[in-house]
Amino acid sequence: MATGLLPEYVMPSQSLPAFHGFGLGLRVPHYADFIATQQPVDFVEVISENFMVDGGRPLDIIDRVRERYRVALHGVSMNLGSVDEVDIDYLRRLRALARRVDPLWISDHVSWTGVDGFNSHDLLPLPYTEEALDTLAANVAIAQDVLGRALVLENPSTYLAFADSMMTEAAFLSALCERTGCYLLLDVNNIYVSATNHGLSPDDWLDGLPLERVRQVHLAGHSQGRDMLIDTHDAPVPDPVWQLYARFASRLGHVATMIERDDHIPPLGELLAELQRAREIATSATRRAA
Amino acid sequence: MNLDELQRRFAASVCGTREPGDFDTRGMRVYANNYRGQLVTTLRDIHAKTRLWLGDETFDIQAERYVDAHAPSSWTIDAYGHAFPDMLEAAYPKDPDVSELAWLDGALHQVFGGADAQAIDATALVADDWERIEFVFVPSVRFRRMRSNAVAIWKALAEETMPPASVELKAMGGVRVWRRGLSPQFASMEAHECDCLDLALTGATFGEICQLLGRWHGPGSVAAEAGTLLRAWVGDGLLLRLRQG
Repeated sequence: MATGLLPEYVMPSQSLPAFHGFGLGLRVPHYADFIATQQPVDFVEVISENFMVDGGRPLDIIDRVRERYRVALHGVSMNLGSVDEVDIDYLRRLRALARRVDPLWISDHVSWTGVDGFNSHDLLPLPYTEEALDTLAANVAIAQDVLGRALVLENPSTYLAFADSMMTEAAFLSALCERTGCYLLLDVNNIYVSATNHGLSPDDWLDGLPLERVRQVHLAGHSQGRDMLIDTHDAPVPDPVWQLYARFASRLGHVATMIERDDHIPPLGELLAELQRAREIATSATRRAA
Repeated sequence: MNLDELQRRFAASVCGTREPGDFDTRGMRVYANNYRGQLVTTLRDIHAKTRLWLGDETFDIQAERYVDAHAPSSWTIDAYGHAFPDMLEAAYPKDPDVSELAWLDGALHQVFGGADAQAIDATALVADDWERIEFVFVPSVRFRRMRSNAVAIWKALAEETMPPASVELKAMGGVRVWRRGLSPQFASMEAHECDCLDLALTGATFGEICQLLGRWHGPGSVAAEAGTLLRAWVGDGLLLRLRQG
C-alpha cells in the first residue's frame, strides 16, 4: 500500500499559475490541421501516453504542435488511487515528455486503473473514505515529487457508488487539494453523468469545492446506456451540459476551458464551433458576475 | 472491506473472473463492458490487416478469446496484444498466414514509436579487420520467419487490391521490420538472410556470417552474397554502426 510511505506529504514548491484560454483536445484526425495552420485556440491538450514513446512520428508531431501552441498533458494511466504504489518508471517517462513540451500543466484523474500490476485502461471509481484519501494523497505526493510540479486532477464519471463512502465527491476533492497542494480539472460532462447516474443534483456539485484550485474545465458529450449515462466523449456537448457549464461559469471565473472529444471525431470546424459557444457562454457569465 | 480488498475484488469483477456480488450489478456491467470493448478495439486497431483477412466476426471472436486469457499490465495500451499472434498460431495451426499477418501488423505498430537512430551509409563501411566486425542495428529492427505468403497478402490488403490466396512457402522465408526516419518499413527475406540476420542480431562477427553464407551457397559465392547482404542492410537503413569484435 502506498499509505504511509512518506513521513509527510511533500507539497509542491511552486504554485501553478492560472491560464485563461480556450482549447481543444488534439486528436489524430486533426494533427495535420493544427500543424499546417494556426488554429483559433489558446492551447491544446494531448493524451500524455500517446507521446511517452522513445521516438518516431509521435515526438515529431508533438514538437511541431508545440511550435504553434501551448500544450497541456493529460494522462489516463497514472493509477493514483490504487493501493499499488505509483509506477516510477511511468513518471520518469512523463517527466521526460514534460521537459520536452514544457506543458501548461500535467493532469490525470481521481481514480485508479488497476491493482497488482493489472491495468484495466479504464478510470475506476474510488470510495470516498479516509483510507482511499490517504492512499490517493500519498500517490499524488510521490507523483508531484518525481514530476517536480503540482498535478491537476480530474473528476471521473462514475457508474456505481460505494456503501462505505463517508463524504461527497466535492469534499473528497477538497481534502485532496488541501493535503497535497494539487489543483483540479473539472469535467462538467462527468459531473452531469455521475450526478444523473447517482440521482444527485449536479448544481450542488461545486458547493464546498475550493474553486480557486480549478485550473481547467472539460466539456464533452455522453450517451445513454442501457441503465445509465455513459461518458463516451463521442458526441457534441449536449444541452444539459452546456446549461450546467453556463451556471458554473460565473462561479469559476476565468479558467482554461476545452472541448474533449475522444471518439467519432468530427471535422475540426465542428469542434471549433463548439469552442466558440464555450467562449460566448464564459464571456457572458463573467460579464454577469462582474 | 478495506481498500486493498475492494480493489482486488473490483478488478476481478471488471475482468469477469469474479461475480460482481459486492458491487452494484448495473454499474459493474458498464465497467466490464468498457474494459472488454476498449481492449477489443485496441486489437482491431493494431491488427487492422489481420481483421480484414479474417473478417470482422471471426476476428472479434479471436479478440474476445484473447481478452479472456490476457489481462493487460503495461501502462500503455499500445503494448496490449503482444501474444495475439501466438494465440492465432495455436488457433489456426494449418493457416500460418493468420498469425504471420498478425505479427506483421503488431511489429509495424511497435516500431512506430521506437527509438530514433541515424543509420550509416555505405561510406561508413570501413574496417581493418572485417572478419571480426560485428553489426549494430538500429533499435527498431525485428524479424520473423515466415511459412506463408503473409507479406504479399498484407501488401495487397494495404493497397486495397485482391489479395493472393494463402499458400505455404516451399522454402521458409521471413520478414524484417524496422523504421527509416519516421516511416515503418518491412521487407521479405529469403531463408539465408533470415539466418544471417538472426546471427548478426545476436552479436556474431562478419566472419561467422560469411561461414554461414558459405554453407548456404558454397565457398566460391561467399564474397558476392555477403556484399549483396551488406548493401541491402545499409541501403535499407538497418545498420547503426560497425563494432570491432
